[in-house]
Amino acid sequence: MTNSFENISVISFPDISENEFNPIERKYLNIIYINIFSFFFISILAVFLIDVTKIIDIHSFSIWLYIALIVIFFFIFFIKQIGFKRRKYLVRNKDISYKNGLFLMKTTTVPFNRIQHIEINQGPFSRFFDLATLSIFTAGNSSHDLKIRGIKISEAEKIKEFISSKIDG
Amino acid sequence: MDNATNFSDFRTQSKKGILVIYSNQIYSFIRAFSILLFVFIQKFSKFSSISLSYIYFGFAAVLLFFLVRAFLIFKNFQFKVENNHFILKKGILKKTNVEISFDRIQNINFKQNIIQQIINVYEVNIETAGSSKAEISIKAMTFEQATALKNSITIFDKKNIESDFEIKEKPLLKIGFLELLKVSLTENHLQSLSLLLAIGIGFYQQVQQIFESFGNNELMENYIEKNSVAFQNSVIIILIFSFLLIFLGLISSFVRVILVHFNLIVFIKNDTLEINQGFTTKKSVVLKKNKVQYITISTNPLKKILGISFITFNQAESGISKENTQKIIKIVGCKITQILAIKNLLFPRENLSDFQKNQVDSYFKKRLYIRGFLLLILLNVGFYLVSKNPTIFWLNTILVPIFVFLIHLKYQKRTFLFSDEIFEVNFGSIETHQSMIPFYKIQHVSLHQTIFQARKNVADLVFQTASGKIKIPCIKINEALKMYNFALYKIETSQQSWM
Repeated sequence: MTNSFENISVISFPDISENEFNPIERKYLNIIYINIFSFFFISILAVFLIDVTKIIDIHSFSIWLYIALIVIFFFIFFIKQIGFKRRKYLVRNKDISYKNGLFLMKTTTVPFNRIQHIEINQGPFSRFFDLATLSIFTAGNSSHDLKIRGIKISEAEKIKEFISSKIDG
Repeated sequence: MDNATNFSDFRTQSKKGILVIYSNQIYSFIRAFSILLFVFIQKFSKFSSISLSYIYFGFAAVLLFFLVRAFLIFKNFQFKVENNHFILKKGILKKTNVEISFDRIQNINFKQNIIQQIINVYEVNIETAGSSKAEISIKAMTFEQATALKNSITIFDKKNIESDFEIKEKPLLKIGFLELLKVSLTENHLQSLSLLLAIGIGFYQQVQQIFESFGNNELMENYIEKNSVAFQNSVIIILIFSFLLIFLGLISSFVRVILVHFNLIVFIKNDTLEINQGFTTKKSVVLKKNKVQYITISTNPLKKILGISFITFNQAESGISKENTQKIIKIVGCKITQILAIKNLLFPRENLSDFQKNQVDSYFKKRLYIRGFLLLILLNVGFYLVSKNPTIFWLNTILVPIFVFLIHLKYQKRTFLFSDEIFEVNFGSIETHQSMIPFYKIQHVSLHQTIFQARKNVADLVFQTASGKIKIPCIKINEALKMYNFALYKIETSQQSWM
């Protein structure tokens, strides 16, 4: 009986854990803030409007709703801020990786020779900060593919160019 | 003959196709308006003769409309084969042109539902790995036409065509009625029962809606209430009821197995598996070896005694399509020799039996216990809310041992091993599953670690394939990283195409 791990015949191959991952752009934190703020602004406004117009009678406990919303707001704000430092990416010679998550840490690597297509997206806020989202699709269920948010548009284009040249070449 | 099997010019399908399209339309019409029809039959006597004649006229108009529509669909559905491309134009008002190159075609399947069986035509389905838009279904072709079309599409796949007729005589696997009976007796009856229950509940809701619309709701409720009171009082009724459930489970698995797998025959031709099965709807599927992403071999204790297992083939699923189930093909009643033959076909020269099984970390067991405990608490709260009687907690004396036993099995069966080319993962609780995936079929690799896992230095490894993911939970972080790097190395250096 052979042990699978001892059977690995190649003596050394690239190790993902030895590589330095790059952090995403610091400016992206602003977009996260904007998103959180606008979400909470809308939800507090909604509660306020319901309270005033009395569509549903929530007057007796509306104060608790506001407190709960504010607590959740600070909680998410705090989490996102810490979690931001965990968002890192890495482009190697034959693959691209992305790391994120605070409570659940995820590392995903997509080899270039399995990529179906690449997309660069830019929302209105991202355009203001000159940032972009790089999405990489492989075959099969696309919901689990790799998405790097908050890198410079020039960097995204550079990576796309690099991968395209690698795939074709 | 020449005209019937010539695909170089645009042509329609067999004329019998009008009938098939027509019956399909009527069938979906009846399904959509089944409740309305039910009401109509219920109130039949209450209609005046004038409104009745209007209704008949309406029906006749609908039927005629469908006939005209079927004819137009038939007339506008034209296809040809040109330059290694299958070209199709269809649509009455909204014209669609589809062009598929041969190498994007995954499968060409034949299918026959009851009507197609009666008028002796075959439905030809062309599956691609691309978007679901490119799936093509030709409703009616004679057998000669269908095989001719298949050959003209696969003719460029030179390897396939050579011995197309030579090996056909001797099937790898042929399951007769008696063996199918054995298979159905050893199915997971609980699953069949829950499927049946789901259908039953759906039907009950429909019936309830109808009763409601008649204002007869009370009648129904009374009936059920009376029964449930009797139910609580009498042990005999509970016993009869559980026997009935077991019987129902048996019957439903039997019907399910017969419907899907009746007359199962599997052939091996050079690089393909040809699978024929089905009772009311006969299906013929050709599985190309390199389109199979991974296979799972499953058995359960009863099947093990009889020495049979079933094999599930996972093919690449199309990007957006939700009908994933179509891409999963199952064959039942395989003996060990047949499993070996299939393994040999898909993964030649691979012998994994020399390798030692690696157990997942004991953290996996701990996680299962925690989850099981939470589920037990939820169940207990649920029980109490339903019965309001503290004696119900005695149920735990049965539930806890079952839980412990299942968790133990689940942990024991969670093993994995890999050679240079293939990865094997074993799992299951009462059933035993063994999935095998060649490294080069993996699309991308992920590592997941919760903060609790980080404290114990374990992580979940996820291999994403074009046909769903394979997860190995809770392995030591250094082993996980080794496999992560190794899998990437194998994918990046492989010259084989994943499909």
